[in-house]
Amino acid sequence: MSTPVLRPSRPRWLDAVGALGVVALGLTVWLGLWVTPPDAVQGNLARLLYIHPPIATVALYWVGIVAAGGSLLYLWPRTRSLFWDRLAASAVEVGAVFAALTLVTGSLWGRPAWGTWWTWDARLTSTALLLLLEIGYLALRRVPADPAVRARRCAVAALLIAVDIPLVHFSVDWWNTLHQGGTFIDPGFKIHASASMSWTFLLAFVAFSLIFVWLLGVRYQVEVLQDAVGDQELEVSLAERWSEDTELVGADLVGQAPAPGGGAP
Amino acid sequence: MSYVDAGYAVALTTLLVYAVSLILRRRRWERALRVSEAPATGGHDAPARGERS
Amino acid sequence: MWHDALLVAGKDLRIEVRSRVALWQVVPFAFLVLVLLALAIGPDQASLRHAAPGIFWVALLFSTVLAIQRSVAVESGEGTRDGLRLSGIDPAGIFLGKAAAVGLQLLALQLVLWAGVTFLFDVRVHVVWLAVTASLLATIGLAAAGVLYGALSAGLRVRDTLLPLLVLPVLAPVLLAGSKVWEAALSGSVSSGTQWLKILVPFAVIYLVVGIVLYGPLQEAT
Repeated sequence: MSTPVLRPSRPRWLDAVGALGVVALGLTVWLGLWVTPPDAVQGNLARLLYIHPPIATVALYWVGIVAAGGSLLYLWPRTRSLFWDRLAASAVEVGAVFAALTLVTGSLWGRPAWGTWWTWDARLTSTALLLLLEIGYLALRRVPADPAVRARRCAVAALLIAVDIPLVHFSVDWWNTLHQGGTFIDPGFKIHASASMSWTFLLAFVAFSLIFVWLLGVRYQVEVLQDAVGDQELEVSLAERWSEDTELVGADLVGQAPAPGGGAP
Repeated sequence: MSYVDAGYAVALTTLLVYAVSLILRRRRWERALRVSEAPATGGHDAPARGERS
Repeated sequence: MWHDALLVAGKDLRIEVRSRVALWQVVPFAFLVLVLLALAIGPDQASLRHAAPGIFWVALLFSTVLAIQRSVAVESGEGTRDGLRLSGIDPAGIFLGKAAAVGLQLLALQLVLWAGVTFLFDVRVHVVWLAVTASLLATIGLAAAGVLYGALSAGLRVRDTLLPLLVLPVLAPVLLAGSKVWEAALSGSVSSGTQWLKILVPFAVIYLVVGIVLYGPLQEAT
């Protein structure tokens, strides 16, 4: 079922997205740090809202959609293709970076705002757990296996994570609400937005989303290349074995029935 | 350095470092692919062995 | 014996550096324990701050079990253990070497856990030397006892469930003393802290000695 020869490509549009993302990000930083006015309530601290929520959105939503969606599409027989598996895996790695950034930027906002670096609220707690689970997924991915086996295993793992995180978020939210006696005030981002702030906010979302797409694309290319090299090395060593005229013990090489060119089930 | 500056610095730096690392990885694996596609005798020189990254 | 110990420690550490299992699996696991315990103890900041020392040590203990599992697994390949036995390396040296490797990993883990607990539970260690000394002493005991029990359960198929069951009760005194020392370190009461340090010393010594003496015979038996 695997593609016979992996031909990694370098699409032009990906680089364009990257360039656009960098420009948009630069603009966001300029607007966010210098042009926009400080918030009436939070002062300059509100400037962090041009980076923390967009990063969090990428980490929780875009990554979730790609990783879970890709995993579903891989498992669904009609749409099964290693493309989805590789895309999902790439999303998880990029997602881990964004999740870590979410936590760091969130703490940097929280320290002056709430007086503490960390609080066990639903959002932070579930993001922390998400990061840990993503690290687990990436560890699982490194276990050597036939690409189809690995894909199935990782797809299931990703889907379980996608189911778990909302559950955790909901439980922790309820946990906090009960503790607070029912009047739970979301320690959220209450700002009084002026026009320039709103536009900057929107631009920030676009910028980080573009950056995410670009990072996802490059990471995907790396994934394809790794698999291609793996296949290539397999071909070479199998060819050598045949030419040595020794008994082909293909079974213990890759754990499947001996066949040059390795057709995965 | 204010919290705001630190936040921007960390976010931008991390993304930059990650992006650069991805580009370097891509280059390394492209080279590995080219090497491993060379005639069988040269096939063993693939530099990227062992740990996938 | 010391030369052999260095050899074995070097080997185990090199394997870890190359595979980075401790880094990418044990450390996240430790943080996971922190999160789970926080969820268990409740959203009240005061309770969390109060429980922080215990949480640090529980997370450390569970991670120690993982680290020991890993240390044993490194030699679980076909005939690896026999090879080690036949190589003429002093078994006491193997014990010390493996314990040293595990100990170093645990120390690194404690640094990270310390930062994690400080950050996640909003606590501050005021008497640093107390906490550091406790960590050093405890680590010796944890590593020595851990490697010993690891060897005990090494060849068994039920090793994965048996090892935690065997080793955690043994490590309980470390948990107890360590938590008390940390409480003292957080609150600043040096005298009570030093009292509890005294428990960690015999623990470390006993398990080091027992390990040096019994590791060889244990290897023969499995």
